[in-house]
Amino acid sequence: MAYLKDERPETMMVEGDWQVGAYRWKAPRLLEEFSAGLKEKKIIGSMCMGCGKVITQPRHLCGRCHRRMDERCVLSDWGTITCFVISPKVEKGKYKLFGMDPVDTGTLKLGEILIPVFVRFDGADSNINCLLLNAKPEEVSIGMRVKVVWAKEPKGQMADLEGVEPIREK
Amino acid sequence: MFRNCAIIGCGQTKHTSRRRDVSVAELAQQAVQAALDDAGITMKDVGCVVSGNMQGFGGVAQPEQWLGDWIGCPGKPAIRIATGGTTGGSVGQGACYTVASGMYDVSIGVAWEKHSDSKEAGATTGLMHVGMGNLFHALTYGLSLRNLIATSAVGAAAGVAVYQAMFYMHRSGCKQEHLDMVAAKARRNAAKNQYAHLQWPNCRPEDIAKTETIAWPFRYGHVCPASDGASCIVVAEEKTAKRLCKQPAWFLGLASYSDEENQLQSENFGGVGVIDPSEQMGCRVSAKKAYAMAGITDPQKEIDLAEIYQPFPSQELIFSERLGLFDDGTAWRHMEKGETDINGRLPISVSGGVNATNAIGSSALQRILEAALQIQGKAGEHQVPKKVRKAVAHGWGGVTNYITCTVLGDSPR
Amino acid sequence: MEKRIAIIGYAQSRHQYDVQKTREDLVFDVAKEALANAGILREELGTVVTASTDFLDGRTISNVFLSMAVGAFLKDESKVEEDGAAALQYAMMKLMTGTYDVALVEAHTVGWQFNPHQVAAYTLDPLVDRQIGLLNDIAASAIQANMYMNKYGVSVEDLAAVSVKNLGNAANNEFAARRLPDVSVGEVLKSKLYYEPLRELMISQTADGCAVVIIASEDKVRKLGVECPVWIEGVGCCQEAYLRDRDLVSLSGLKSAAQSAYQMAGITNPFTDLDLAEVTERFAHEELLICEALGLAREGRAKELVNNGVTALGGDLPVNASGGALAADPICATGLVRVVECVRQIRGEAGTHQVPGVKRALAHGQFGLCAQKNTVLILGGE
Repeated sequence: MAYLKDERPETMMVEGDWQVGAYRWKAPRLLEEFSAGLKEKKIIGSMCMGCGKVITQPRHLCGRCHRRMDERCVLSDWGTITCFVISPKVEKGKYKLFGMDPVDTGTLKLGEILIPVFVRFDGADSNINCLLLNAKPEEVSIGMRVKVVWAKEPKGQMADLEGVEPIREK
Repeated sequence: MFRNCAIIGCGQTKHTSRRRDVSVAELAQQAVQAALDDAGITMKDVGCVVSGNMQGFGGVAQPEQWLGDWIGCPGKPAIRIATGGTTGGSVGQGACYTVASGMYDVSIGVAWEKHSDSKEAGATTGLMHVGMGNLFHALTYGLSLRNLIATSAVGAAAGVAVYQAMFYMHRSGCKQEHLDMVAAKARRNAAKNQYAHLQWPNCRPEDIAKTETIAWPFRYGHVCPASDGASCIVVAEEKTAKRLCKQPAWFLGLASYSDEENQLQSENFGGVGVIDPSEQMGCRVSAKKAYAMAGITDPQKEIDLAEIYQPFPSQELIFSERLGLFDDGTAWRHMEKGETDINGRLPISVSGGVNATNAIGSSALQRILEAALQIQGKAGEHQVPKKVRKAVAHGWGGVTNYITCTVLGDSPR
Repeated sequence: MEKRIAIIGYAQSRHQYDVQKTREDLVFDVAKEALANAGILREELGTVVTASTDFLDGRTISNVFLSMAVGAFLKDESKVEEDGAAALQYAMMKLMTGTYDVALVEAHTVGWQFNPHQVAAYTLDPLVDRQIGLLNDIAASAIQANMYMNKYGVSVEDLAAVSVKNLGNAANNEFAARRLPDVSVGEVLKSKLYYEPLRELMISQTADGCAVVIIASEDKVRKLGVECPVWIEGVGCCQEAYLRDRDLVSLSGLKSAAQSAYQMAGITNPFTDLDLAEVTERFAHEELLICEALGLAREGRAKELVNNGVTALGGDLPVNASGGALAADPICATGLVRVVECVRQIRGEAGTHQVPGVKRALAHGQFGLCAQKNTVLILGGE
C-alpha cells in the first residue's frame, strides 16, 4: 500500500468503560407472536389500516400514518430476492462475535461461502434478512423466486426460519 | 426572518488513525483555535457554541460538559446536537440557525471524534450499540447465531451499504470497477488535502482492485477509515461577515428530513417498510427543500461543486443522483467520463470526502467546511480551478434514514 | 423579536418508575396526544426537535428508532442532547428564521433502563475524576450543598422545607411520580442518607417519562385560530465551566441565562413581574440556589422564601406548584415538563394545583453536574 503515513508520539493512556450489558430495555411482545407463528410454519406480519402496508417482522407503529399497526396477517412463505451479498470463503478470525470465533464453535464452517439475502415475501412491504441455502453463488439473481426452508422441528424461535432456497421447477 | 449568515472561518485538525499526541479535548480545541484564527476573531466575539460528537465511541457521556472549557463554552450559551452520522451536519446547521434566527451574531459549530479512544478497531462497540438493545431482544427469541453472524458478516455500517450498493448497481448498470474508480479518486484527492487521513497520491482503480474482498462488491480498498479528528466553522451574521471576510460562504438553504429506518430492523427487531435502501426519499426531500430555500431550480446546472458523505464509494454515486445532480442511474457514467474530478464539470468530494477521512462525529461538518473552503478559494492544493458559486454539502446517518443537506453560495440570499 | 413564537399544544406522560411501555410506545402516545391538544395533523408539522441522550437510553443515536414514533417521517428532524428546554430553544430558533412555521419538541428518558447516577459518573472528566472514582452527581451536589450551607448559615431543615413544599404540592399533580401530601421536615431528615446532607427525599425522583410541546410562529397561530396561545417571550441559556473549575455556591451560568431571558421579555423585576416559576431542582438545596440566581432573593436568603411561604402554592410567587423534579425527574424531559406545567397554569388547565391568575411564568431546565447548563424560558398568555 502506498499510503502516506504519519508517526506521532504517544501520550499516557487511562482506561474506562461503558457497560451496555448492564442496561435493561422494555420490549413489546411482538417477537413472541412472530416466533409462535414460526412454530406453525407461518410468517406473521403487522398491517397498517391507514396505508395498507404490511411489515414483517411485526412492529407496533406505522410512522407514515402515525398510527398503531395492530392488525395481523399471515404472509406467504414464497418470496422474491430483492438483494443479495456474497461473502468470501469463511476464514478463522474474521467474524468474531462476543469474543468468540464462530469457526471454533462450529457455527460457521471453514471455507464455506455465505449468501445473505433480502427476501420480500409475497404480501409484505418489507424485507427479511436471512441466508440463501441450497444454492450456488452463480445461481443467485435479484428477482429470483425463493421459498422458506423451515427447521425440521420448529420450536417457536427465530431460528425456525432457517433460510430460503430457490424454487426449482420439477 | 432568515437573517443572512455565512461561514467566515474554518478549522480542522490533521486526521490519522491514532492521534495519541493529544487528548480528545485538545483535539477539539485545535480545530476551534484554527477556525477562530482563520476568521480573525477571538472567543470573546463568539455568542454561542454548538458542539457534537457520537458519544458512544468516546465512552464519555455529554463530553462537552467536561471539555467545554477547551472549546470556549464557559459563560456562553452552549447547545449540544448529536444525530449519529449526521452529527456534524446537524451541528453546522445548528450554528447557522443560531445566527439566522437573530439570537446570536457569531456562533461556532465544532464536532469531533476520537475513535482511537475505543479499544476495538473502528470503535465497533459504539456502533453496535445502535442496535444492541434490538440484538439482545432477538437473541432471547432464539435468533440463530449463524444467521446473525452471516448477515452481519460485513460489519455494522458496511452491512447496509453493501445491500444499498447492490440495489443501485442492479438498477443502474454500475459495475464494481466504478466503485474502484471512485475510491481511487477519493484517495488521490485526499493526497492533496493536508488534513485528510488516507492519502495515496496517484492511486489508480487497479490498485484498489488488488485489495481483498470483504463481501462482493465491496473491497477493503473501498472502505473508509476510522479517523481521529475535529472540525470547526465560525458563522457570522451579514454585517460582521462582510466586515471580517473577503469571501464568506453564505448559507443559502438547509434541510434535514428523516426517512423511515432503512436498516433491516426498527426498534425491537421489527421490520421496516423500505425495500430499497438506495431509494433515500429523505435525501430527495431534503434536497428539494434546501434548493427551494436557495432559489435553485436546476441543480444540474446551478450547483458547481458537491461534498457528498460517502464512507462507501457507491454512496457518492447514489447520493449525487438523489441530490439532483445527475439523472437517475447515470451518476457512474458521468464519473467515468471524469466530470466529477477536481478539474471536471461538477467536482465531487475533492477533499477526498468521508471515503478518505472519517472522524464520524465531525465528518458531516467537514463536508460543509470543505464546500465553504472551495467557495472562499482557500482549499489550497485541492482547490478546484473553476469558480465555485454554489455548492451543496451532504451528510447521511442513523440507520441510513437521516440526511443533512446544506447549500452554500458566494453571495447572500 | 420580530415575529413571536407561541406554544399551541402540549402533553406529558404520567411519570413513574418502571413504566410498562416500550420507549417507542411512550413517545408515540405523548406525541399523538400533543398533536390532538394542538388541534393539528402530523402533516402540518414542519420540523421536529427531540431531546434524549445516548447513555441514558443505552443506544448510540438514541433518537434513530424513534423518528417514526415521534411523527418525524419525512419531516426535518434534529436531536438536541440533554434537556428538553434546550430542544425547545433550538426549535424556536428554527421557527424564528421562517424556514418552518410549526415545530414539535419532544423529550424523554426511561430512567428505569439504567442507573442515571451511573451515567452522571460517565460525564465526569475521564482523565482524572473518573479514574479516582469518588464522585457522582449526588456526591458533587452534596459538596455544593455543604459549601452553600456553611457560607450562609443555611440549615439542613431549610433544605428539608423545600422537599416538604414540593412533595406536598405533588399530591395535587396526577402526573407526578412521588407524592407525599403530609410529609414532615423530620421525616425528610430521617430518610435514607446518601451523602451528607443529601437524603433520599431531598434527591429528585428518577422516572420514566416523556413530554411534547408544539410551537408555531405568530402567523400560523392566527391562521389556526388558536384560542389560548402561550407566547415564548424570552429565552436564555448558558453553560458554566466544568465542575472543579467553577464556584459551586452561586449558579452564575443560570444568572446569565436568566438575564438574557429577562432582557428579551422586558422583565425588570422578576419577583413582581412573574406570577409563577417552574424550576428543575434535582436536589433540595438547588431550588434555593436557583431562586437566588433568578433574582428572586438575595444571595443566601432564598430559605426565607420557603420558610415564609412566599414560594408555596398559595404564596406570592409559587415555585414548583407541580412538585418539580423532586416529585418527578424523567431527566431529559424534566425541563420540558416544567414548560408544560407553566403552560397549564397560564391556560388554567392545571387542575388541583392551579394557581389563580397566572399570566407570566418562568420555566427552567438544567443538565450536568451541579446544574452546569441551564435554560430559562419566560412564557406569557395573551
